[in-house]
Amino acid sequence: MSSDNKKSKLVFAVPLIIFLLLCVFLFKGLFSNPRELQTGRLGQAVPAFTLPDLMVDDKLWSDKDLAGKVYLINVWGTWCTTCLVELPYLTKLRERGVNIIGLYLEQGYDPDFDGEFNIQALRDEVSQMLARTGNPYQYNIFDLNRSLAFDLGVSGAPETFLVDSKGVILLHHTGDLNERIWRAKFASKFTELKEVKL
Amino acid sequence: MIPELGYISLTIALGLSILLCIYPLWGAYTNNLRLMRAAPALALGQCVFVFLSYAALVYASLTDDFTLVYVASNSSSSLPWYYKITSTWGGHEGAMLLWVVMQAGWTALVSISSKSLPWPLRARVLGVLGFLGVGFMVYTLLMSSPFESLLPYYPVEGHDLNPLLQDPGMIIHPPLLYMGYVGLSVTFSFAIAALLTGKLDNTWAKWSRPWTIAAWLFLTLGIALGSWWAYSELGWGGWWFWDPVENASLMPWLIATALLHSLAVTEKRGVFKSWTVLLAIAGFSFSLLGTFIVRSGVLVSVHAFTTDPGRGMFILGFLAIVVGGSLALYAMRASKVNSAGRYRLFSREVALWCNNILLCVATLIVMLGTLLPLVHKELGMGSISIGEPFFNEMFSYLLVPFAFILGIAPLLRWKQNKFNALQSKLALVAIISIVITGAWLYSSYDFVAPITFMAVLLAVWVFVSTLFDIVEKTTKQTSITLGLKQLTNSYWAMVSGHIGFACVVMSVALTSAYSVERDVRMHPGEQVQLNGYEYHFDGIKEIIGANYTGHAAVVSVHSEGEKVAELHAEKRRYNVGMQFMTEAAIDASLARDLYVALGEQLNDGAWALRIYHKPYIRWMWLGGLIMAFAGLLILLDKRYRGTSSAEQRQSGKIKTVPSAEVQL
Amino acid sequence: MNPRRKKRMMTVLAVVFGLGTAVALVLYALEGNINLFYTPTELVEGKGPEKQKPFVGQKLRIGGMVVPGSVQRDQDSLHVEFKLMDTGPTVKIIYQGILPDLFREGQGIVAQGKLIAPNTIEAFEVLAKHDEKYMPPEVAEAVKGIKHEKPVYNTVKGDS
Repeated sequence: MSSDNKKSKLVFAVPLIIFLLLCVFLFKGLFSNPRELQTGRLGQAVPAFTLPDLMVDDKLWSDKDLAGKVYLINVWGTWCTTCLVELPYLTKLRERGVNIIGLYLEQGYDPDFDGEFNIQALRDEVSQMLARTGNPYQYNIFDLNRSLAFDLGVSGAPETFLVDSKGVILLHHTGDLNERIWRAKFASKFTELKEVKL
Repeated sequence: MIPELGYISLTIALGLSILLCIYPLWGAYTNNLRLMRAAPALALGQCVFVFLSYAALVYASLTDDFTLVYVASNSSSSLPWYYKITSTWGGHEGAMLLWVVMQAGWTALVSISSKSLPWPLRARVLGVLGFLGVGFMVYTLLMSSPFESLLPYYPVEGHDLNPLLQDPGMIIHPPLLYMGYVGLSVTFSFAIAALLTGKLDNTWAKWSRPWTIAAWLFLTLGIALGSWWAYSELGWGGWWFWDPVENASLMPWLIATALLHSLAVTEKRGVFKSWTVLLAIAGFSFSLLGTFIVRSGVLVSVHAFTTDPGRGMFILGFLAIVVGGSLALYAMRASKVNSAGRYRLFSREVALWCNNILLCVATLIVMLGTLLPLVHKELGMGSISIGEPFFNEMFSYLLVPFAFILGIAPLLRWKQNKFNALQSKLALVAIISIVITGAWLYSSYDFVAPITFMAVLLAVWVFVSTLFDIVEKTTKQTSITLGLKQLTNSYWAMVSGHIGFACVVMSVALTSAYSVERDVRMHPGEQVQLNGYEYHFDGIKEIIGANYTGHAAVVSVHSEGEKVAELHAEKRRYNVGMQFMTEAAIDASLARDLYVALGEQLNDGAWALRIYHKPYIRWMWLGGLIMAFAGLLILLDKRYRGTSSAEQRQSGKIKTVPSAEVQL
Repeated sequence: MNPRRKKRMMTVLAVVFGLGTAVALVLYALEGNINLFYTPTELVEGKGPEKQKPFVGQKLRIGGMVVPGSVQRDQDSLHVEFKLMDTGPTVKIIYQGILPDLFREGQGIVAQGKLIAPNTIEAFEVLAKHDEKYMPPEVAEAVKGIKHEKPVYNTVKGDS
């Protein structure tokens, strides 16, 4: 079938070349993960909200309560296994003097299906969980209908936002926070902000 | 304690597979027989430890050991025991471990049944398999270990298995697919070993065939089951969505099908050698590519939070090494392969060549449709999706020549054929097919679209020409029983494979054309007519399952005054994960499926119901089973059971020469 | 030309012809089936630096959030209309059929369909997969930073 050896050699390399081209795109695709795209809220203020406290009846929190401090907003839930892994680390961060506010994300509540929300059961669950892992939160905002979460562009839990004293969101991290990610993503910005403040 | 043991045994298995990768390959390179001889023992040892490791994970899941991240995220204490077992492959980490188990199993199987292979080849095959094993084990241990612990803080209850996966079909679907994917690695290893030894001959094709057939068999079953699962479980009544996950399994299947046919030619006629090797490499490459697509989140961003791009990077790196390396080896070695043998235009070789080309084009189209959105986005042209019509249209175009040739091929002989000799036969088959199709369709349906007619005609054409061939073969002999006895298993396998394919084509054509789908708004007590069936919505009842609650619409179906079925279309809500599931109710029969799914409740007490009438849809999966049966026929052939050596497996799967010509 | 040459020539011609037809068919089929993804803002104001707007009749995908209070159901059929938005103007979606389990006001969805007026889409498929574990990538991308009129929640007990 083949008479010209050089030519045919080239033919046999065609699959390799095509594959290598494909790899380039796959490689690029790997890093254009939508959740790594930092769009939207970065550099903007935390959206206005008024939401109840998770543990205390009739206590309401709003965006105005947050002003003046550098803090983390951590989105979590008792249903979220990764949060469970993350909580002890967050507690450590709190001991290092990082302010952390929890945004409790209720996962599957559906008024059509569940009727009235049983807040007491949830509070018990939360207390139990935090008793084991340590409580990293100054307080928890309860976002039953996920309105604030939606405004923030939260698509799951855990997620963490770094907010400066003017209430501007500087970082948005999806997935768990650990020492590696803290050092790589948060630490430098955080100390920078602290120094500015001091 | 047990999970730690699992981790340790996996580490030991990794150690063994590193040795399995190095010793035999080095031994083959330096011609050191002692090193090569170590391979089978290492393969078996690796297999034992991998199985121990998996047993540990199953044990942890059965005993609700929520100290493991994996068990806590994929199981719960209220889960029935069988789903606790299946939850071990319901998540990413466990699925990868299952993959490793299969890889080790196949490797062990190869080492046992390759005793008659010459040592240099046997050692290389096992060495390459060992290398693949190392890759997957390192990945599992470093990137996605299911043995990761949550200690000291662990939950009292797990997050439950995704309700979509709580279905009998889903219990065996992934293992079947993995068996297929990983099975192709055996064919791949044979190809690489052959390229390394430089001996690409008929015997290589002979050895590869049973393994390819086994892998193909599992892929066929896996895909058919996946389609059936999507149909009965997703609540949309669709059976194929062309989504990346499905495409990832279709591409290796198409290539494996091409490979089966091409191996037949290489074995019998010694031609197409370099092409066959390329297909063998491509088959496994597409398996890996599919894994990458599914697991890395490049295309379907499954928002799983503990994953980092590291996983994708690893698989891509592995993909680049394995596929890039083997294609480079191919580029260097394949040009030296000479394909001897001559053939004319009207010969079985050319028919099989066309089959190969069409299957490869089909693969490329699936790949194009799957990866184009990625390329499009990376070129900064915005997010796109490729609509299903694209695939449907392209596959309709491809079907015409494919089925046409499929009908002719069995009638053709190797090397050459006089066209004139065939002419009258083909004309006869064509006329019979047209008459049958026309009579069938026009008597049953008021309207027949040209495309439906064409597709059904092609299915009938394949069917008739296959029957025609059987009749011709048997009547040549003195008596019909003698004639039937003359036909080999491999011939029957070909028949079964082709008939199965015809069933699928027929079913797809008729279901697509004559399904009646209606979404209706109904109050309890109301009824609706659809295709001669009366659906009476009796009411809604509460249901309570082991780990879910919900409600079911009771719909009784009547036809001509008689009650045909009572269907309970459920909407479930799983307690732990708080996820919804629509469980469609289906009354199945060979001629039609009655399908009812429950939608949402509307404001005034009415409910949305989805009611489908799907004709002949069962034949799609039945066809898949018939096709898979072809593979089984060959693997169960007496000639292979009696002998342990792969070398003596000289079967022909599809499109091999019947009777005398096969028994070389 | 000797017969062998001639034969080879014919083969090459056949291959070129076959390839050409195949590529043409693929491109033709692709042209009608590439569904660009838009957000409601992009749909109304144009997409990309050239502010490209889709034409009426174009098939497309759109992702955004269901505007609370905008869902209108027909009383006698499964006809439903709702508005979709991201950060700017709203777009109307018309759909006939059963909505997915997780369809809620204020949730992110993806609809696939045809543009029948400059800001109205007739959808043949509506997907809502906004639960915590999974979200279609386009939505995840699009809803980041959505600014919407928030539904008013008075108490902890949910309304709907």
